[in-house]
Amino acid sequence: MSPRDIADPQAARERPPFLGHGVGLRRDHFDRVLSGPTGVDWFEVISENFMVEGGRPLDVLTRVRERYPVVLHGVSLSIGSTDPLDEAYLDRLHALARRFEPAWVSDHLCWTGVGGRNAHDLLPLPYTEQALDHVVRRVLRVQERLGRPIALENVSSYVAYRRSEMPEWEFLAEVARRSGCGILLDINNIFVSSRNHGFDPRTYLNHIPPATVWQFHLAGHSNKGTHLLDTHDHAVIDEVWGLYRGAVTRFGAVSSLIEWDDRIPPFERLENESQRARAIHDETLERGAGRLPAGVAGSARAAGPETGP
Amino acid sequence: MKPGGMIDLRQAQELFWTLITAPEGVRPAIEDLERRGVLKGRAIDEMFTGDEALPAVERLDIYANMYFYRLLDCLAEDYPKVRAALGPAHFHNLVTDYLLRHPSEHPSLRHLGRHLPRFVASHPLAARVPWLADLARLDWARADLFDAPDAPPLSRDALAALPQERAGEARFTMVPAFVLLRFDHEVVRYWRALDEAESGGDPDDAAHGRATGNAAREGAEVPDTHDHEEGAGRVATPARRRSWARVWRKDFVVHHCSLDEEEAQSLELLRSGESIARVCQRLAAGRGVPKATERAGRMIQSWLDDGILAGVTLP
Repeated sequence: MSPRDIADPQAARERPPFLGHGVGLRRDHFDRVLSGPTGVDWFEVISENFMVEGGRPLDVLTRVRERYPVVLHGVSLSIGSTDPLDEAYLDRLHALARRFEPAWVSDHLCWTGVGGRNAHDLLPLPYTEQALDHVVRRVLRVQERLGRPIALENVSSYVAYRRSEMPEWEFLAEVARRSGCGILLDINNIFVSSRNHGFDPRTYLNHIPPATVWQFHLAGHSNKGTHLLDTHDHAVIDEVWGLYRGAVTRFGAVSSLIEWDDRIPPFERLENESQRARAIHDETLERGAGRLPAGVAGSARAAGPETGP
Repeated sequence: MKPGGMIDLRQAQELFWTLITAPEGVRPAIEDLERRGVLKGRAIDEMFTGDEALPAVERLDIYANMYFYRLLDCLAEDYPKVRAALGPAHFHNLVTDYLLRHPSEHPSLRHLGRHLPRFVASHPLAARVPWLADLARLDWARADLFDAPDAPPLSRDALAALPQERAGEARFTMVPAFVLLRFDHEVVRYWRALDEAESGGDPDDAAHGRATGNAAREGAEVPDTHDHEEGAGRVATPARRRSWARVWRKDFVVHHCSLDEEEAQSLELLRSGESIARVCQRLAAGRGVPKATERAGRMIQSWLDDGILAGVTLP
């Protein structure tokens, strides 16, 4: 999404282009991705891994960007922290976005540290009015600083705050409504949290306003018996694919991305997962609309028009 | 917690942080806070969700484990030979101590390990493993140069274009992805031996340790300065002898090699802005000028081959 006026959150209520079906770009796959065509439409990169001065990662991203749309996905914005926003971090993110012109920039609805220290983990917020005001203020500042709206992702969580005043989906939707940010809806995270906290994942989907959703994440997780852990080291399970089908039905043509960050398999495995996302997406839209909207069929790399929710 | 049962976001985050970063685990951290009167009674259960299957403390422990093991994995990646030398249990304990003193203060994990070499030097392990700080410096230099700024290396043509009569006045600059290290122990040879020994093992198995708690110390024998079993074979620990290495990146790959004292001093002179003539002068001490010039020529040749020279200037 190109920079534009973000002063009015309602003016930013436009969904960015549909990119098709992508995968996370990881170091293990650099050679394969650069060696020739792939079966994916776009790549998401971890912003912080490229906030460096030189070396191979930046060179690879430069070459990947020449061929594919790219999304910058951060893990350290710490939008919910009570520490001041890290201006140096925002400078680096801004510079990275200007250099690589991503389709959009995203991070997580969480906090990652406090007192100047960073846990490098996506820690849960209490869903209170106080936290909502705090997050919305910071999202507005970040968007102003970057000159573009950002997307925020729902995280997997393992504990919640008893004094939360609203469910996560309401908090997320309200952050998007008030700040004009987009939502990166992680389908696996919804599933993981639904099991860990005992809610119906379809309720989550049904409370997210369709126009706010810019992107889906799909990933594998681990079943630890007492809880599900968001490990990104397995294939997407059938129940999550089922939830994804429901998400496509509700939200329409939304760019999807497969995340696989540990025990990384050969690239072909990721391509297969992405193909499955594409197939479910295309089937669901065909069945729902009787036909695919122009530009969506085949999930071409070119941005297609939006479909109605 | 605020009066009336509301959560103060700052307090909640500080408490969460304290609990998940406590090295002995969430439960002991809660007990400590209770002893000090910071937490009362069932405060944790009143603040966080939990049930019989997974009580609040165990839910927080999930975060505590993730906190520690993510950072442990990161440091294991940046310090592969320190971990190989110590073994997973001692490395685990070293990281536990390190994170207490140097929690991550940067949004990128890339910087997490930057204080480790100095930390190791003042750690109790240094008394038993005196070469560990040198090995850590070598590991860190390699990690640090991986994404150092790019710069085109000096070409032979640029060097050949110097007027021959003024070649001695030339001064070199180095590429940013270059560092010269001086050690008190022969760690370069040791690094290579560990690398060879490791190639037969499964480093991934060791990197994660086998602890089921979080950052609690693992029991293990303290390593000594003598030979010990590690990786695929028996590796002799480094002798105490002054040594040098240069570390550099070429074609996006980080390399290092050991140097003799002459080459190290020559590089130090060049790096401090001295001319080629001054380097030759130093090399000539104890040998003739032709031999010194020949040695300088060979060194410059290898620096050109390795791409560590960035520019050449005449005053």
